[in-house]
Amino acid sequence: MSMEDYDFLFKIVLIGNAGVGKTCLVRRFTQGLFPPGQGATIGVDFMIKTVEINGEKVKVSERLSDVLICGFTGKELQIWDTAGQERFRSITQSYYRSANALILTYDITCEESFRCLPEWLREIEQYASNKVITVLVGNKIDLAERREVSQQRAEEFSEAQDMYYLETSAKESDNVEKLFLDLACRLISEARQNTLVNSVSSPLPGEGKSISYLTCCNFN
Amino acid sequence: MADNLPSEFDVIVIGTGLPESIIAAACSRSGQKVLHVDSRSYYGGNWASFSFSGLLSWIKEYQESSGIVDESPAWQEQILEDEEAIALSKMDKTIQHVEVFCYASQDLQEDVEEAGALQKNHASATSANSTEAADSACLPTEDESPSTTSSDVPAEQTPRSDPGSAPEGAEAEVSGEKENLCDDKTCVLSTSEEGTSENVPVAEDITEPPKNNRITYSQIVKEGRRFNIDLVSKLLYSRGLLIDLLIKSNVSRYAEFKNITRILAFREGRVEQVPCSRADVFNSKQLTMVEKRMLMKFLTFCMEYEEHPDEYKAYEEMTFSEYLKTQKLTPNLQHFVLHSIAMTSETASSTLDGLRATKNFLHCLGRYGNTPFLFPLYGQGELPQCFCRMCAVFGGIYCLRHSVQCLVVDKESGKCKAIIDQFGQRIIAKHFLVEDSYFSENTCSHVQYRQISRAVLITDRSVLQADSDQQISILTVPPEEPGTSAVRVIELCSSTMTCMKGTYLVHLTCASSKTAREDLEPVVEKLFTPHTEMEIENEVEKPRLLWALYFNMRDSSDVSRNSYHDLPSNVYICSGPDCGLGNDNAVKQAESLFQQICPNEDFCPPPPNPEDILDGDSLQPGASESGDIPEASSETPKEHANPEKPEEPSE
Repeated sequence: MSMEDYDFLFKIVLIGNAGVGKTCLVRRFTQGLFPPGQGATIGVDFMIKTVEINGEKVKVSERLSDVLICGFTGKELQIWDTAGQERFRSITQSYYRSANALILTYDITCEESFRCLPEWLREIEQYASNKVITVLVGNKIDLAERREVSQQRAEEFSEAQDMYYLETSAKESDNVEKLFLDLACRLISEARQNTLVNSVSSPLPGEGKSISYLTCCNFN
Repeated sequence: MADNLPSEFDVIVIGTGLPESIIAAACSRSGQKVLHVDSRSYYGGNWASFSFSGLLSWIKEYQESSGIVDESPAWQEQILEDEEAIALSKMDKTIQHVEVFCYASQDLQEDVEEAGALQKNHASATSANSTEAADSACLPTEDESPSTTSSDVPAEQTPRSDPGSAPEGAEAEVSGEKENLCDDKTCVLSTSEEGTSENVPVAEDITEPPKNNRITYSQIVKEGRRFNIDLVSKLLYSRGLLIDLLIKSNVSRYAEFKNITRILAFREGRVEQVPCSRADVFNSKQLTMVEKRMLMKFLTFCMEYEEHPDEYKAYEEMTFSEYLKTQKLTPNLQHFVLHSIAMTSETASSTLDGLRATKNFLHCLGRYGNTPFLFPLYGQGELPQCFCRMCAVFGGIYCLRHSVQCLVVDKESGKCKAIIDQFGQRIIAKHFLVEDSYFSENTCSHVQYRQISRAVLITDRSVLQADSDQQISILTVPPEEPGTSAVRVIELCSSTMTCMKGTYLVHLTCASSKTAREDLEPVVEKLFTPHTEMEIENEVEKPRLLWALYFNMRDSSDVSRNSYHDLPSNVYICSGPDCGLGNDNAVKQAESLFQQICPNEDFCPPPPNPEDILDGDSLQPGASESGDIPEASSETPKEHANPEKPEEPSE
């Protein structure tokens, strides 16, 4: 595989307390809409969005597998949602496996969701890869009149934890694009650096192969 | 993050082992409202995998004799007059005879911790735990009779059921160090490119420890997060039921796999590689031309033995090993076929059993690579979690560290109608799935359990060194005395993401006849040599043992439902892990229980396309809340419908 053929495929995982708007952020970004329902989305665990950065070729694809085979220089973002497993602090470890970036989300109108952040950070340190990029997001700035967590507090916290911080509104679409695209840029530049440093190894994220990519060998 | 559990479900599943998790996924997928709980702080029960410190905490838990402090509110008063209760067990009795030995040298520092451990309450508690365990378990230098921590854990002294303080280690182990070690880079290549899987070069890691440095105990502790140590050692047959289910349900996308690279045999005190694919046989240097022809001819016959009944009919009454003697095979080849390919017992397996097993092996060989087996990266413990994730995606609710005090049975109907959890909350449901270990002694007093003997070893090199040090091997060591069982040895390299670089993780498994150590130590001694400090730089033949753990695990598979004391018909029992190599038992069990709960429903059909679900609910706001899953028109993604399609030619 030559360098030009690489597809970047990044897995971004959203974590944070239930109800802070993780699903809304994902859907605003991937579909451009704000889901009216309140309940957890059933049957969807990840969304794919293809983004264009620095005018590079882009292939829009529905499923991750298609992209891996097609060989375009696409920048796929695969965005995973916790499927509600965070409600009772029971996220599976495998959920964090091979995540390239984490978006740690809290709700600016909910003090409790901010206070739980250290707990989430502990979980990240336990299970996520050491190289994972973490971004802190304060969501629901459209509800500014009900704000419980000041921007300054959040900034101090994120600085202390060495995280990038951003406030968003999935409802008003404020900063949502910026959040994901900035993240994509950082991931791409890191991936490039890694491939330059260590050009022997393949840059595809993930260590093994999913079943459908294991080469079959016919000899019967 | 506290939240109250809803009080009504369709199905409550207690225990997160593989069969329970598959059933939870299947039920959730077909629209049932599922609550899935586990009293432990980790997923998988006896199917779990642990980091090194997580494993130390697990060991400590089973060695600790501290009494149980039950602070749960009493449930008895909640039981009404027309109800009865079936109390569930407060402690796990499935693990016994835990013994730990440390051979690697220990540094003088007392405060070794896993890299990047945070300064927080339970993190420091864990590090104390691990050093403590180390202190008592470890023997610094050479000694033929290493000291043991405690053995023989009586059933009474198993873990505390206090859910809050369950194995904190699993939670506490942490690492945040920004190392330039990057796993992602090191092992992507080694998966099964056709024909090359044996010698695939693995990208060198810059930070690999210098060759002469022996691995010390503190290095193991420090790098503890690199370990994912399975309690159950299994592989996936590439045409087994579990692979089929993973593909069909699309759960396979949550996990990644590697091919087992070698099948090994142990004969006349030596480990050798078994040629089993056509390519292997032709390339083999250990076989003579005549042997190659014999073996190919025999294996080709096995592929279609059913079509030539006259060739084996006369031997049907014999054992497979006797039958092999009648074939034109050298003793060498007989050994390979009997122990490494068919993996059958010399004394107990019939000709037909052997032929069937050989055919299955050869059949699986053709699917993904040079051997018939796959191993999930990060360990077997990933698999239950993958199914749990699927359950959650379809609305299942997950609660670890959550124990159930009792099942509530309605006297009149004789059916179970609710559980009472540790907080005294009553949660009603229609069906209750309970893993065997959760039942109390009262319920299982007539059950006869078998035992599995397990050993987990950390070693410094492979049992059979080859060009590449990244080999995943399976080796069967035949029993020494008739009547005992063969020992299955699975050796994992660091690119399986189950052990640190420079080490191998070796799993030994057999059906117990005595304690795990008594059953397995003879084999360990044959294959390995205890790590000794004083060793002169003479290259030792055998790999060195750095650390060893032995334990017995209860095997509750094959227990008939009738052996349990009066269970209501809507309470279903899942067994713990069985001793077999594959996972067919768990899948069969899950499918049959699922059919009882949801008759006529498809078992884990492919999930609909996310876009279809989301498009659907954007047209009808709120559709996602109703829990209905729109029937997807383009349901099956092409690539999964045909998993065998060779892909990725670009590599």
